[in-house]
Amino acid sequence: MKKIAFILFFVFDTVLFVEAQNDSTISISFVFRYNDKIVDLSDSSFIANDSNHLQIDALRFYVSNICFLKNSTVLFQEKNSFHLIDASNKNSQTLFIKNNKASFDEVSFNLGIDSVTSVSGAMGGDLDPTKGMYWTWQSGYINFKLEGKSVNCPTRNNTFEFHLGGYLSPFNCLKTVFLKSTNPKNIVVVFDLNQFLSSVDLSTQNQIMSPNKQAVLLSEKAIKSFKIINP
Amino acid sequence: MKIKAVLFFCFCFVFFAFQLANEKPVFVPKNWPKPVYNFSKNPLNENTIELGRALFYEPQLSRNNIVSCASCHSQYTAFTHVDHALSHGIEDKIGRRNSPALMNLAWQQLFMWDGAVNHLDVQALAPIANPLEMDENISNVVKKLQHTKHYPKLFYKAFGDSIITGEHTLKALSQFMLTLVSHNSKYDSVMRKETVFTAQENSGYLLFKKNCGSCHTEPLFTNNEFKSNGLPIDTTLNDYGRYEITKNKKDSLKFKVPSLRNIEFSYPYMHDGRFKKLSDVLKHYTTGVMHNQSLSEELKTPIVLNANERVDIVAFLLTLTDRSFLFNPNFSYPKNLFLDSTKD
Repeated sequence: MKKIAFILFFVFDTVLFVEAQNDSTISISFVFRYNDKIVDLSDSSFIANDSNHLQIDALRFYVSNICFLKNSTVLFQEKNSFHLIDASNKNSQTLFIKNNKASFDEVSFNLGIDSVTSVSGAMGGDLDPTKGMYWTWQSGYINFKLEGKSVNCPTRNNTFEFHLGGYLSPFNCLKTVFLKSTNPKNIVVVFDLNQFLSSVDLSTQNQIMSPNKQAVLLSEKAIKSFKIINP
Repeated sequence: MKIKAVLFFCFCFVFFAFQLANEKPVFVPKNWPKPVYNFSKNPLNENTIELGRALFYEPQLSRNNIVSCASCHSQYTAFTHVDHALSHGIEDKIGRRNSPALMNLAWQQLFMWDGAVNHLDVQALAPIANPLEMDENISNVVKKLQHTKHYPKLFYKAFGDSIITGEHTLKALSQFMLTLVSHNSKYDSVMRKETVFTAQENSGYLLFKKNCGSCHTEPLFTNNEFKSNGLPIDTTLNDYGRYEITKNKKDSLKFKVPSLRNIEFSYPYMHDGRFKKLSDVLKHYTTGVMHNQSLSEELKTPIVLNANERVDIVAFLLTLTDRSFLFNPNFSYPKNLFLDSTKD
């Protein structure tokens, strides 16, 4: 018993030592913007003093399968890469990734959860169904959730709700974001709400809560709303 | 630091050795197909099964702490809700469909009459959240369980962690449900050559194989497919079944082929419980089938059975009753866990 513990301890210690030697951590931070304002939902909803009386109550999405590329070739792929990014939770907004291959020119990630993971039963961590990103009446993750109000919505209380998801053809909503990056250490990814909302007609598209054609179209618009700030 | 690490590894070693000792092998009856459930991701364990059993009978899974899974899935009626065409849930609200019987779940990939659920682990999320059934949400369930005295202990025994998560709650429920294997009916004894059918049962068996067996395939008595069986649509429900999930017109009016095991006790029948008796079901298949665009190939040529033949088939169907399953004490209300002394 003592021997086993000693061997295990030795292995554990070595791993720590090796990791400390090659520590080249890359950070990816997510920032949410509407025009020039930062959308921070930590304490309360975001209210833009614009003509649409836009209000944002919830904004969260899954980022998965993070890759670093050089000349469109994948150099590094994060293992078990599932992250729930939430505008109301500061801790969720910065990811740290250990990567030895520092020379890359592009970052990619999936906006949402892939189909294999979607049919693999109950999972923990950011994938735990208690995170409010899992449909109950029909199996599957909500890839992207945006909720708020706008005078342009002819709905009760002017609310809009976009719960985009679906892993089965023809309504597979999983899309990949590709972003050119010249910063090898600290990457800042912006989700531009102005760009996303200006591509949506809120008077007709305001309630999407199941996998369908609209969800696929909006998922495509969502991936185009990500930008990277290069120094 | 070193002492802590050694202690940590000692703990891990002891814990996993302990878990290994409680590990329960997956039971697959002879001549049955391989289960579709991936047990390697949720290996059966006595403590986890026991926790799942407690959760299955736990009314705190509902908003008003009154409705449990067992409310609509009672053991003595093959884990379904009898007497009601449409099952009722919280505050006697009436649901949209007849609750399915629970058994042999390791052999099913898709759940619900329309296949809306893709894995046994996530099945329980649907009734928990449905406003007509339990009207609760899983994160609140986890909070409620964490605040009890006994559940953190049970989760610790099952998973080595007293912090309750949605994942562990669902996996424990799966483990209990996976043990609900019905394989000891008279039919099974006949197949094992331990007994024989009566002449009438045998006649029914032959007729069944010829007329019903292509969808209600042995030994599970379902092919797990979705079929339109020619029921006229109930305009008070307008339930299009599988179409509502796939949005594919070919799936209109298709519902899951249910297993016929323990059918004697799982009345009423069909997705909306429209038939009270097995004789009504057989009358439907012989004279009631309405043709529609998605009608199952197997039903396009009418099934011809006279009154005597229908009676024989019913006699055979009664041999699918498994009393050792319906009255198995391992599946019943876990009194020991809910006794006042052990609870709070």
